[in-house]
Order: sequence, then C-alpha cells, then structure tokens
Amino acid sequence: MIRVMQGRSATGGVVLACAASAFLLTGATQGFAQESVAVRAPMVKGALPVDDPNAAAWNSAPLSQFPMSPQVHWQNRIQEATVKDLKIRALHDGAQVAFLLEYADPTEDPDDSAALEFMVGDKKAHFAHGQPMAQVEGGPVNIWFWKNKENKAVDMSAKGFGTLKAQAHQDVKAKGAYSGGAWKVVFSRPLTTEHPDEDAQVKPGEFINIAFAVWDGKKDASGELREKGSQKAVSSWWYFRAEPPPDYSGYLYAAMAIAVALGFQFVLIRKLKKGQST
Amino acid sequence: MGGSLGKPIILVAIIYLLLKFVVPNIPGSAPLPSSLIFLYLMLTTSGIVIFATLSGESKDAFWGPIQRFMTGENIGGLQMLRYGVLILFPLLVGWQTYSSTAPSDQPPAENRTIHPAPPGEYTGLSNPVAKTPDNIMQGKGFYAAFCSPCHGGQFDGKGPAARGFNPPPANFSDPTTIAMLQESYLFWRIKKGGVGLPIEGMPWKSAMPRWEVELPDEWIWKIIMGEYDGAHQSPRTWE
Repeated sequence: MIRVMQGRSATGGVVLACAASAFLLTGATQGFAQESVAVRAPMVKGALPVDDPNAAAWNSAPLSQFPMSPQVHWQNRIQEATVKDLKIRALHDGAQVAFLLEYADPTEDPDDSAALEFMVGDKKAHFAHGQPMAQVEGGPVNIWFWKNKENKAVDMSAKGFGTLKAQAHQDVKAKGAYSGGAWKVVFSRPLTTEHPDEDAQVKPGEFINIAFAVWDGKKDASGELREKGSQKAVSSWWYFRAEPPPDYSGYLYAAMAIAVALGFQFVLIRKLKKGQST
Repeated sequence: MGGSLGKPIILVAIIYLLLKFVVPNIPGSAPLPSSLIFLYLMLTTSGIVIFATLSGESKDAFWGPIQRFMTGENIGGLQMLRYGVLILFPLLVGWQTYSSTAPSDQPPAENRTIHPAPPGEYTGLSNPVAKTPDNIMQGKGFYAAFCSPCHGGQFDGKGPAARGFNPPPANFSDPTTIAMLQESYLFWRIKKGGVGLPIEGMPWKSAMPRWEVELPDEWIWKIIMGEYDGAHQSPRTWE
C-alpha cells in the first residue's frame, strides 16, 4: 500500500487527502449528540393542542424521559414514591408553549397532582423551592401546579421553604386526562409574560432549567394521603428549550466556502498548467 | 524522487497515530482533543514544507508530483482519484464552514467541580470520635438510616432514591471520592449539604441534605467512620 502511495502522482492527492481528513477530524467532534438531558419544543404552525392531551399533534414533538426520585432532600421525606419515570413532550407556536407530561399511576385519585418548576430570571435557584444557598445568591422559582380535583393549573412562586404561594397573575392553563393506568397532563402558557420577576420567560433558542414533581393522590388504609406536600416524586434540574425558527445562514456560508474553494482550485490548476507549458 | 514525498506522508501518519492512540495511553495522560491533533499535524506539515523547499532541487522533488497530480497531466489511472480530490476538497471546506458557523443546539456545557474547596474552618479538623468498633457500627447504622437511600447500602451511590438526581449521589467505593478526601471535608459536605457548595459546585442542582438541621455533629462524625469502613476506603491524610 505504501509503495502505491509513494508513486509520483498519487502523492499530491494524498497530501490533499491529509488536509481533508484533518478537516474531518475537527468537524467531527461537533456532531456528537450529548446524553438526553433536555426537553425540546419544536415550533409548529397552527393551534397548539392545549386542551387535548391525546391530540395527534403531540406525536410531532420529540419524547424526553426523566427518572424520578422520592423526595429525600428535605424534611418530611418519603422513601418510596409511585411515579418512577416521567415522559415529556413540548411544542410552541412562537406565542405559546405547551408541555405534555405522561406517567404511569395505577389509580385515578382526586389528589393526583403534577408540577413543572422553572428558574426565574438570571439567578440560579435551588430545585427544592429555590431554598437559600450558603455561598450563592439564589433566585425564585416559578411552579406550574395541576391537581386532578380541580383539573386546572395554579401559577405559583417560591423562594425558600414555606414561601410557596399562588401568584396574583394566573397565566398557566392545565388539563389532565386519565386512561389505562396513566396520566397525560397538558400545561400551557404564553412564552413570555408581563411579570418577569415571578414567571419564567421562554425565549426560543435559549436553554432554561426545568424540574418536575408528581404526587400520587392515593390514600392509605387509614385514609391518609401517602404523598402530599413535600412527600412526592421529584427530579432535579434538567434543561428545556423552545427551538428557534429554522436558520439557514449556515448553508449560505457553506455554499460561499465551497465557491471559494472551487475558485481557488481553478486558479491554482490554471496557474500550474501555464507554468508547465512555458 | 517518490521517496521525497513518501517520507513526509509516512511521518504525518506516524505522528497522527502517536497522538491519537499512543499519547492517551501514557499514564496520567488523556485523549487529545481533535482540534489539538489538527494543530500538531498542521505544524508538522508546515515544518515538512519548509524543510522540503529549502533547496531548489528538493523543492522540485517535493512540488513536482503534486503539480502533476493537480494538473492531471500524464497521471494515467489516477485521473479518477484526482477528480475525487477536486470534488471532495470543496465539499469538506463547505462542511467544515457549516459545522463551525451553525448555532449550537446543545445545552450549555457544565463544568461542575465535584470536590470544590471547603471553607477554611472545615480544613484539617480531626474526627473527635474514638475509632472503636462500637462507634463504627453505630455510624453504619446512621448511614443505613439517613444516607443509604441515595448513596446505597453497598456504598456505591446506587440507592433506591438515587435515580432522579442529577448530579448522581457520590459512589464511596470509587477510589476518586472519599478516598481522596479528608474526614474534615466529609464533615463539611454532610453538615452543610448541597446548598453549602460554592458556585463551581453548582449547589442549585444538588439533592444532598443539609444534615446540620437534623443530626448532631457527633452523629455526622460517626457516619464518616461508618462510610469509610463500609466502603473499604481510608481517609486521605497529610503524611
């Protein structure tokens, strides 16, 4: 093989091929996908299925799945929670964002509940209700809470334990549908609101933090709720992004680069040919 | 004359193989980023070009075959290879341009420091509890009650409550966790919990409880003993 490559005229090609593979080397690293750590909402045209957890439109949204833990981080822990995994899809239409939560729950109970949590503003907030951090100044969290009994959303704020309260401005809608041992709950809200100090603002193209909580509203033999308040299934922070409108500028730049490379080859070869003939 | 081009190619190939497969296997080393490999190969190629064009004769020997290949004169069966190169090169330039200008659709990179520096008052504290079998056993009992739901009954970070948390609970049987740390460091981490971390530890993500609210210091020191014993590790010391 080496002997073939050492052939006079092959060598030029090999030098170019070396340069080409070097390009390949640098380009290749950017193509690898990271682990699934984010919910992504593609932009769609037409109305979002905000009232219909079973709408076909949800199938166009990529599915993300997150493991859940029993809440053991702060007091009034629970050692085992019903919900072990949560499946999420999301869509946006440039004005509204909608999330579809799906999870297995063997029984439908009035107190079945689910919540989404977001950081608010630029400050980092601890996933546990934005509780204070010793060395970092934290911000508040925005919680979108749904309960089967009312089958509607409550838009809430918290900054530390015991501070959770419903907001004066209710911007979130939610609707749940129970079927076949599983809940499907849709949350929706305008991407941005007029209260950036209380509400998470969704800007297409930007990653924001999201966390989840689910309560199984089943009662134990004594009639007490097994999961309530801080006793629930939780996740810590993951990412959410409303996908930006398609940007084709990369293709334009690539086409320009190809044109320049072709022109360079053309001029080079012409010059070389001239040199050889003189 | 062919040898004057063959050698540089072999040299570039050898350096690539060294950087890609040999260097990462040197103890204490790590895989080189492809951008760094690219830089080294470019430096090597530049060096070769400078060396090969030092004299008129070597210059001709070096550039002659390349010129003939590029112009396609008298290269016979290599014509197809030439066309391939002439098509592939602009496409690669286009692809490289696309991948370097396209906006990233990946979440922000997270360079979380797993063991950030503790506050000064927590450095160099020694465990005030006597290391007796009774105390170790008591520590293991506390561990089972308070820590094992996340850190696991086998001290491997795989407790039943661990799965939903990101970052995952530490695996104490891994030699890069508690074996690298002093007891005073563990005392700080257990006492102050995830919210006690400095910014580089990303305290907002940690599910580690702030145990000072619930457990007396003496219990925490006993838990530390139980952890080291159960995970078959020893604390790091200054000796």
